[in-house]
Amino acid sequence: MPEAAVILDGVCKSFGSLRAVVDLTLSVVPGEIYGLLGPNGAGKTTALRMLAGLLQPSSGRALLLGLDAGSLQAKTRMGFLSGSTGLYAHLTPRETLQYFGRVHGLSAIDVRRRTATLAGWLGLEKLLDRRCENLSSGEKQRVSLARAVLHDPPVLILDEPTAGLDVLASRSLRDFVRGERARGKAVLFSTHYLAEAELLCDRIGLLFRGRLLREGTPASIRAECGATTLEEAFLKLVDSE
Amino acid sequence: MTQLSQRLSHVLLTLGKELRESLRDRRTLVVMILFPLVVYPLLSLLAAQVAVARDRTRQARPSLVAVLGPDGMRDDLSARIRAQPKLLSLIERGSRADVAAGRLDSLAQLAETGASRAEIVYDASREESREAAERLSDVIASVLPAGCAPRFSLEKHNLAPEAGVGGYLLSKVLPLLIVLMVLLGAFYPAIDVTAGERERGTLETILASPIRRFDLLLGKVLAVTALAALTGLLNLASMSVTLIQVMRLADPGSTLQVPWTRAAAASAVVLPSAFLFASLFVAVGAVARGFKEAQHLLTPVYFLSIAPAVAGAVGEYRLTGLAAWIPCMNVTLLARELLLGHVSFLGALAALASTLACGCVALAVAAHIYGSERFVDPGPRERRPETIRSTANSNPPTAGQAMFLYALAFVLLYFVWLPLQRHNLVLGLLVSEWGGLLGLVVLFALFTRRPLADLLRIVRPPPRCLAGAALVGLSAWAAVAILSEWVSPVPKEVIEQLRRSLIPTDGSRGFWGTLALVALTPAICEEALFRGPILRGLRTRANPVAAAALTGLLFGVFHIELSRILPTALLGILLSVVTLESGSILPAMLTHFLNNASLVGLAYFRIDDKVAEFGATASAMIFMAGAALTALGLFLVHSGSRQARL
Repeated sequence: MPEAAVILDGVCKSFGSLRAVVDLTLSVVPGEIYGLLGPNGAGKTTALRMLAGLLQPSSGRALLLGLDAGSLQAKTRMGFLSGSTGLYAHLTPRETLQYFGRVHGLSAIDVRRRTATLAGWLGLEKLLDRRCENLSSGEKQRVSLARAVLHDPPVLILDEPTAGLDVLASRSLRDFVRGERARGKAVLFSTHYLAEAELLCDRIGLLFRGRLLREGTPASIRAECGATTLEEAFLKLVDSE
Repeated sequence: MTQLSQRLSHVLLTLGKELRESLRDRRTLVVMILFPLVVYPLLSLLAAQVAVARDRTRQARPSLVAVLGPDGMRDDLSARIRAQPKLLSLIERGSRADVAAGRLDSLAQLAETGASRAEIVYDASREESREAAERLSDVIASVLPAGCAPRFSLEKHNLAPEAGVGGYLLSKVLPLLIVLMVLLGAFYPAIDVTAGERERGTLETILASPIRRFDLLLGKVLAVTALAALTGLLNLASMSVTLIQVMRLADPGSTLQVPWTRAAAASAVVLPSAFLFASLFVAVGAVARGFKEAQHLLTPVYFLSIAPAVAGAVGEYRLTGLAAWIPCMNVTLLARELLLGHVSFLGALAALASTLACGCVALAVAAHIYGSERFVDPGPRERRPETIRSTANSNPPTAGQAMFLYALAFVLLYFVWLPLQRHNLVLGLLVSEWGGLLGLVVLFALFTRRPLADLLRIVRPPPRCLAGAALVGLSAWAAVAILSEWVSPVPKEVIEQLRRSLIPTDGSRGFWGTLALVALTPAICEEALFRGPILRGLRTRANPVAAAALTGLLFGVFHIELSRILPTALLGILLSVVTLESGSILPAMLTHFLNNASLVGLAYFRIDDKVAEFGATASAMIFMAGAALTALGLFLVHSGSRQARL
């Protein structure tokens, strides 16, 4: 078993009297897609924000490749994407990638090379020099994905990346994520589309009211709950709470 | 017909929906009500009062003049000049070089070559010299022989070069315009890089990247600085050319030139100002959830920044002393002096240092905001617990309600009570205090279903609190008055006018009547509003120090007269501290009453005239004694309330 690339160890996060995440422990190894599932307000985004270094845990540890998730070193090894991710409207995708590439410490040549590679993988060739404000939602999400993986990070944190995308764009994104897994990346993926998680994830964690209800492969959770679908299993678990 | 009525119904439905939505947005209401009814009158009042103070200062200074020419003619004119010591001060020897160097304001050169000729030599690039030339003209014109024809043919000779005059003309308009344009240039870029980034959803992305938040912030501030500076510089260049062209059009014979060297020197204020406004606006914009909220938050900051710049431009103060350290005002004054071509090195240094220091403080505040988790997610708008309409509401007023009450009270004061007071002072005061202030609080209590005693916190204070409050009331006036006199002296005419109107010594009102009107009435009514819902409302959103300071400032501004803002604001802060420490409004009422009663007593028995004659040492001793007793009083209030809590 390879060493975990992503670790949340007994993490709690409170906002005033609201306990958004309660004693959450999970890990993701390289070459694995871990799906964090739950309804709106379950604490998925808060958990991922702690791993992306945007929030500090109230207690517990959030680690990426053994580094504190809030550190600059950890951030250089992580690509972060969320469904609400926007782009700088007046910049072109090429300029956006140049900016983020330089922020991640890539040389101008490396940025150009990597941009060309990603443009081929994600079908961005014709979009690179158009202003982002003129792109469709699907095109913007592909550019955002290119931005998240530009520096070829070993860890990908994707917060509801398919939210608002059509079927084709969702499939294209899932295919890309599978490709990244094949390249040995550790992927932490949150969604409230249970069917999508079933299609994509190696392991899933069901989050409800900030707590991890169950963790395992989709098949093991279905079997444990005596359910035919993940949705049914989830509803049974929530009802028993 | 049915179709038409259906369409009309849709229009009306949409109108109703849009109005409901807009009027439920308190920020829209603030911009809609607070600005036209409170901020603009306040700004115009400020400008008018500063202009009056400037004219008063100018009038109070006699112009330094000299007369040259044949003995007989010179003696005659000299005698007439000496007869007007308040306007003109005659120097025995003077030359054109003295006028050019600023040692002399104006020179009258008399000559008798056939007809009597008088040449007035002045420097048109100096305000004092222009004023002196006018005064000299009037005196020379009054020298009439028996036939009543002017004895002298009068000529004016300006020593200033055309560029100097151009600089003088630009100095009248450009300094304020530069500051306004830099402010405007920083406004939207600051919103865009902060709230705009949050709204676009790019904030999380960049914060999850390996870039230090301070570096990110600094990059943004510098970008806004660059854009604001560019706006300022372009406007400076464009307005310099435009204004001079307008002058030339108005006077085709004019050979005015654009003083490019001076305009370039004036551009030195652009960058520091741009940095200050960029830091300030980015700090404020960082707490906004979106573009619209950022606009609402930044608009008051914008106007607060304009106010000192307007005061600087209208007041035409020199860049010395306190004026050199007041942000926004100092850069306006520095730009003015640079355009005029005479700038004091220390004043310029103080202005630039103060502006950069304020910019750094704003940057530090912005860095603190950027480092906080609230910056990543400001969270939803604060929700207050639902109140049941049918039962009494025991919640303190909100900060929004406090500001709304203040705005309403101010609007009533400005548009209703002040005109009434001008018509009949006693009636106006009584109605404005009991109706406009206390009445407003009572109506608010009724409307929001709050028991009045609860809203005002009418709680019996411990005896030690009352003793402390009494001590503050009996001593604070000395410290406050002397401190205000040191920092910003109130003109004697203003004091005298106030005393004559409020405390007539002709026996027409009597001591007790005056005491009831000037001490008891404000102690009850002003405290009911300011230390009641306003202080309590602000306290829900600010820490005790900020709430007391803001309430004090609002109290000061409410007294309208510019020269009274500082002392009343200081008193307001003290009264707020007394209220917060004691947990009851009654001690503050006692303090307010005794403070005003002390002033009434001093004025009524003309003791304040003797106090005004004290020297610097005696004033310092009175100040220290007053401050020490006030501190002791505050300590008693604090310890009294603490003892009661235990």
